[in-house]
This record gives sequence, C-alpha cells and structure tokens, in this order.
Amino acid sequence: MATRGMDSFARSWMVALILLCNLTKASMEVNETQQQPPTNVYHDLLFTRNKIVTAQFECYQKIMQDGVYERQEPMCNRTWDGWLCWDDTRAGVASEQHCPDYFQDFDPSEIVIKICTDSGQWFLHPVSNRTWTNYTRCNAHTSEVRVTAMNLLYLALIGHGLSLTSLFISLGIFFHFKSLSCQRITLHKNLFFSFVLNSVITIILLTAVANNSEMVQRNPTSCKVSQFIHLYLFGCNYFWMLCEGIYLHTLIVVAVFAEKQHLMWYYLLGWGFPLIPATIHAFARSYYYNDNCWISSKTSLLYIIHGPICAALLVNLFFLLNIVRVLITKLKVTHQAESSLYMKAVRATLILVPLLGIQYVLLPYKPGGRVSSEIYDYIMHILMHYQGLLVATIFCFFNGEVQAVLRRHWNQYQIQFGSSVGNHSDALRSASYTASSITEVQGCYSIDVNSEHLNGKGFPDADSSILKSDSPFA
Amino acid sequence: MKLILHSFLYCCLLATVAHCVELEVNPQVKKRLSLWLEHRLRRNLDSVSVEKTADSENFVRAEEVRDNLLPHSRTGISVRTKRSKNPVSPPRRQGCSLGTCTVHDLAHRLHQLNNKLKIGNAPPDMLSPKGYGRRRRSVPEQRPSRSQEQDRPEWRITDSQVHKLMALLKRT
Repeated sequence: MATRGMDSFARSWMVALILLCNLTKASMEVNETQQQPPTNVYHDLLFTRNKIVTAQFECYQKIMQDGVYERQEPMCNRTWDGWLCWDDTRAGVASEQHCPDYFQDFDPSEIVIKICTDSGQWFLHPVSNRTWTNYTRCNAHTSEVRVTAMNLLYLALIGHGLSLTSLFISLGIFFHFKSLSCQRITLHKNLFFSFVLNSVITIILLTAVANNSEMVQRNPTSCKVSQFIHLYLFGCNYFWMLCEGIYLHTLIVVAVFAEKQHLMWYYLLGWGFPLIPATIHAFARSYYYNDNCWISSKTSLLYIIHGPICAALLVNLFFLLNIVRVLITKLKVTHQAESSLYMKAVRATLILVPLLGIQYVLLPYKPGGRVSSEIYDYIMHILMHYQGLLVATIFCFFNGEVQAVLRRHWNQYQIQFGSSVGNHSDALRSASYTASSITEVQGCYSIDVNSEHLNGKGFPDADSSILKSDSPFA
Repeated sequence: MKLILHSFLYCCLLATVAHCVELEVNPQVKKRLSLWLEHRLRRNLDSVSVEKTADSENFVRAEEVRDNLLPHSRTGISVRTKRSKNPVSPPRRQGCSLGTCTVHDLAHRLHQLNNKLKIGNAPPDMLSPKGYGRRRRSVPEQRPSRSQEQDRPEWRITDSQVHKLMALLKRT
C-alpha cells in the first residue's frame, strides 16, 4: 500500500544506493526502473501463471531455435508438456528435471521424470492413455514438511517463553540491586532487553501473522509494520551482541587500564544502527517485492538485514579469538599447569559463544539436501530461540557478583526474621563455585575499582582480577 | 575505539550496498539478455538463418549455445542422453539461506501450511494420470511458424502483455 511519495522516495533511495556502487550500471538501471510500474498488489495466482507462460514462451523459442537434425535411432521429440520444456530424448531413457517453482508446495530440489519409451514415444499413462510426466514427487513430502514446521513452531514458542521468563528475572535482579550497576551490567541490561523485545515480537509474528492466513490475505499495514519492527529488533539483538564483543575486546585486549568507556557509542550502535538496514529493507521490499505482510522468505532482499548481521557476527568471532588469545597468554604467566590453563580457555570460549552469537558463524549456510536441511533447521532453531535463556543463565544466575548480592540479601533477610535455616547458604556457596572465571575477567571492577558502587567490598586489583581464576566470593 | 567503530560501520554499509546491488543487477541483466535473445531470434527468422553461427555466442546464453552446437558437432544421439538440468528452469534456491534467516523461513513455511484456501498449491488434477504431459505440440516443422509473420508485442512481463501473450499462445 505504498503511496506515490513513498515510491519516489524509495526509488531515490535505491538509486542513491546504486550510484554509490557503480555509476555506469546505475545509468542503465534508472531507465529500467522508471519504465516498470510499481507492483503494489502481489497475487500468487497471477505470479504463477506469469511464470508458466514465460516458461512456455521460452520453450517454444528454444524448440524453434534448435535446428532439426537427422536421427539414427528413435527419439522422443522435444516438447512442452504444460509445465516444463523437454528436449529431444533418446528412446529408453528417462529424462529428468528439477521441479518448477510455480507452486508453493512444490519442492524445487525434487525431480520430475518423463520417460521416453523404447519405441521413441513419450510415456503414456496406462490409466488415461495420455502422454504423462511424473510430477508427483514434487509435493510428495508435504505432510512431513508440515510436521517439521509445527515442531519448530512449538520449539520456538517454548524457547521464547523460557527465555522471556529468565530474562525478566535477570532484568529484575539487575534493576533491583543497585550495587550491581556498572558499565558491563548496563550493557547486559541492554542486551537482555533486546532479547526480550525480540522474543516478544517473534512470538507475535509467528502466532498472530504467520499462523493466521486471513490476516495475511487481508494484508493490513499493521502486519507490515510488525514485520519491520521484527527485523529492526532482530538486528538490535545481534548488534547488542556486537556491543558486548566490542566492550570486552576493548576492556581486555585494547586497554586494560582505560578509564570508563563512552556508552553513547554503544547505544548508537545497538539501538540506532539496525534502523538503517531495516529501513532500507522496508523501502526495497515495498518497491521490488511487495508481497502480503512481507512474509515471504524467498527473496534476496532479506540479505539487506542479514548482511550486516553476518558482518557483526564475523567481527565478534574475531573478537572472541583475540580475547581467548590474550587470556591464554596472560594465564600462561601465572599458571604452571597447562591442562588447567586450556580448560579455563575452553570454558571462557564456551561461555562467550552464546553471548557473542558465534554459533551462527559456525553453521553459516543451510545445506541443500532435504534431510540435512531439516537437521540444520532443528539445530538452528534450538540455538536461536534458547539463546536468551542461555545468556540469562550464564551472565546473571551463574554470575559471581549476582550470587553474592543475592546471598547477602538472603542472609539479611534471615537475620531480620530470625530464621533458623543455616544449611541453604552452604548450598549456595557450592553453587557459586560454578561461577566462571570469565564472568570475573570481564568484570566491572577492573574499571570501577574505586567507585562507590561496590559498597566497600574488598576486591582485588584490576590485573589480578583478570588473572585470578578462583572466585573471590567463594 | 572510535576508529574501530567507524570502520565497522563502513564495513556494514558496504556489505549492505554490495548485497543490494548484486540483487538489483542480476534481474536487470537477465531481462536485458532475454530481450537480446528475442531480438536475435526475430532477426534469425527473418533472414533465413544464413549466418547462424557467426555472432550467436555473443547474445545467447551458455546453455543455448551448447544446445545449438552439440547436435551439429556430433552425431546427435549420444550427447543428449540424460539431462538432470534444464536451462529453462535451473534449480536455484531463492532467498536467504543464512543461519540467521531460519526464523523468516519458519514464518514463511507456517504461512504456506496455514493457507487454507490452497492458493498457490499445485492443482491435484494436474498431477493425476489425466494431468500434465498431455499436450503434444512437439516438433517445430509440424507447427506453422506463425510467430514469424505476426508482429509480436514487445516482450515485457507486465500484466496486460502477459494476457496478450497468453491469447497469442492459445492461437498458435
């Protein structure tokens, strides 16, 4: 439902983009784009028919263009069967092609078979006694696809529900206990908040839009707006992971003893920058691929969103490797035991992987086959929808500082009410050992050593806190 | 710190632009190619294909060149035995196949499955024994080459022209 003004704006946007890259190509393309009328309404049926007619036209062109040549043995003649074009085929050979993408339930990776019989005639179906091409494999797996999709939906909903619960608890802890607040926790809060917003909008999108065909058929503006917000928050999430990566990298590798970093840049990168790809995508989508509710994933325009995200993740991978390198070199200075050193490095890496979103870099591309892509889908969805839960668990519930603050308040509570429960603190104490060294390494006390937020607790020096492996709260 | 941030921002912008342009150029080039192809075809038909091989490589897609030349160069039988690839519909995967795109993919798939009106699904009768493959207009010499004498509409994929084209194709 783009207005005229929107269109011209989008056009100028795209032209500006193209100009940025290649001037010569741009001059060609401007002419082309201005000839095309804006396609505001996108009809599946018309689209399918266009595709079939185009294929038919091309097929007849080809049939006429290819010269006739003498044959030594019986051949089946080249033909257009109504959906696909078939070349001259030797007798007794089954010609194969990939399924066309005319229909939603057709799988383009499956195969269509047209048999040329020994007599040099195309296969006649015994039931109808007509020439027949076997298209049945194209949509044979529809029911399995349905089961997989529903499983993935439930997986996603459960994952986001658990993530939301844990993230809300974590955010409550971070906001309630003022003694925790420092730059690192501020970044965590923002990351958690972006996780929360992303989970909420993803749940809304999956249940209210994708699962609601009437809504998509009506194609209201609100669903496009929600799609835009979803893509923006999706980007925010990954860019806050990048912010965490930049912060940690700056803290550990670039300047250990630096003064407070300016958080303004982080806010700009985390909440501001994702607006750019989301906006470009929205304009490009409304101009070039304006399908109902922008629900289709079969357009390369999505790379406008996912290109920057991928770049962010790659930068994070570099940061992770660098951090681990520095960690190992620093640990080598103090520790003699090689095994414990590497154990710590591996643990630090494993803990940082979900925070920085490295898992997406390790499995970057969807494989082609049906089974392998299904497995990939399951793995990716588990990693994606449970990431909030994982991050909240590691960086809030397993965090030594958080546990210490909670324990202190619990003790105060106990003293206040004169409770006789004494064994619980032991249990908590042992649990705090699981607090990793890395949460301490990236701790804020390396910067906030002198700040009053720490409530006079005796923290070790900045460098020793980086190098120390045992929790000071133990 | 600032430098890192700035350089990163530029990198992101560059990546975005690169993706966009790659995307915009390809359809255009393709359309241009098909336009050329059509032009060339018309030219070929008008002049009775005397200088057929001269400049064909410049305008014709690689697949078509192969199809043109192979039958002539060899005996013509052993070459096109079994084809798993067809130039008309190459099996390419559209859309984003990055790991982070799985969410959009799931939404798209759910939308397709919940499409109760079955719009866009393959009509089942076309897959049945009475379905596709029944048309037999195969050999070029059997068909009257009408497309030569008619002034065909300029080949652009817009709605009205597609309708015209469909009518035209029905007449042939």
